[in-house]
Amino acid sequence: MLESGLSKYAMLSYGHNAFSSDSMRRYLIERNPDDAVFGHFGAAAGYALAARRAMHTFRTGPETWKHIAVGQRKWANLNPAAEMYGRTMTFDDYYNASWTVEPFRLFDNCLMTDGGRAIIITSTERARDLKRPPVLIMGMGQHNPSCDVHQATHLAGPTGAKKAGEMALTMAGITLDDIDACEIYDAFTYTVEITLQDYGFFGPGEGEDWFKDGTIEPGGRMPVNTSGGQLSEAYYMGLTPLSEAAMQLMGRCGDRQLGSTTNTRSPEIILCSDNGGILQTHTCLILRRS
Amino acid sequence: MDYNKPLPNVNEDSREFWTGCKAHELRFQKCKDCGHIRWPASMICPMCYSRDTQWIVASGKGTVYTFVVYHVAYHPGFDDDLPYVIADVELEEGPRLLTNIVGCRPDEVKCDMPVEVTWEDITEKFSVPKFRPIP
Repeated sequence: MLESGLSKYAMLSYGHNAFSSDSMRRYLIERNPDDAVFGHFGAAAGYALAARRAMHTFRTGPETWKHIAVGQRKWANLNPAAEMYGRTMTFDDYYNASWTVEPFRLFDNCLMTDGGRAIIITSTERARDLKRPPVLIMGMGQHNPSCDVHQATHLAGPTGAKKAGEMALTMAGITLDDIDACEIYDAFTYTVEITLQDYGFFGPGEGEDWFKDGTIEPGGRMPVNTSGGQLSEAYYMGLTPLSEAAMQLMGRCGDRQLGSTTNTRSPEIILCSDNGGILQTHTCLILRRS
Repeated sequence: MDYNKPLPNVNEDSREFWTGCKAHELRFQKCKDCGHIRWPASMICPMCYSRDTQWIVASGKGTVYTFVVYHVAYHPGFDDDLPYVIADVELEEGPRLLTNIVGCRPDEVKCDMPVEVTWEDITEKFSVPKFRPIP
């Protein structure tokens, strides 16, 4: 639409009072009445079913996920807009938190947020004379396994991330080695692991070794979810990762800005993901500094 | 005490399944063209799109594909059941059924563990299939 000139601008937006109203809780609890007969509700338990199958299939579990929860919290502690800005988290805090739907503990789950995000997209031609340098879309890919989740064979991977990631990298004409940071849909810690695994950053079961020693944290070699993400900043569906990627590439991130401020690579290219359902849809987007 | 958990949401697709449950039979649709046995119930076969279908009775035996343990009740009807197990059970005939594992402690449940159906008569109208370990 933008390239053909049918429209000049498009706005992607999301807003919700998920924390102060009961609309998100009601939606999650009422989404599948057949499951409710047995006491199965919401998205957390669906992702927990996937995570449990993954624990059976390859080496993963809380020992891997704690690095994601704690690493993202360190980013949130640098982000005044994050819900968890003033609250640090240790590995002990992670383990001492109560189970919600096992194998998930409290900090494996994302936040419920009042708020919103918006992104404006326009043509590269129009973007040339904007005041701020724009961010360019280099590549995108989508893959939707989509089948009924209880019959799914992709819960422990490969999820839609594998093909979506390959499509986006091919369109961008780059490899994973060119990626400076990732902003990954992280409604649950396991989602971050399986998404990065399916993109090819590490093999099945190698996540714990890949994440440990602060890989994704400030100062790490592959920063992930640099706002704190949905786990520790705010839940705005796919706009949490996407807006953070755009703002990092524009240099608008203050104390958490990638580059010398956080002892990380100055970002040229950032990879983003989004999920729908219980790993049923997947989008990968690669953005570049202009 | 009155049954205070959600009841099955019977529709034209799933009526035969829940009627079967009342008779303590697990009934699934089998495609007459390609032989695929499917769940959830639907008008057309998801594998070959045929509408030619017959209902079969499953053995009630299977394995735990995956499972979770609820430590929070998201509905007051489950308050007294905590902690309880939700599992995706893969039946011998192929389909997977979301259900509960009963008859053992939650920490005894494992993926790929053999299980068999056991029936819970919850109201005059409904029986619900749950699964227990095969010793």
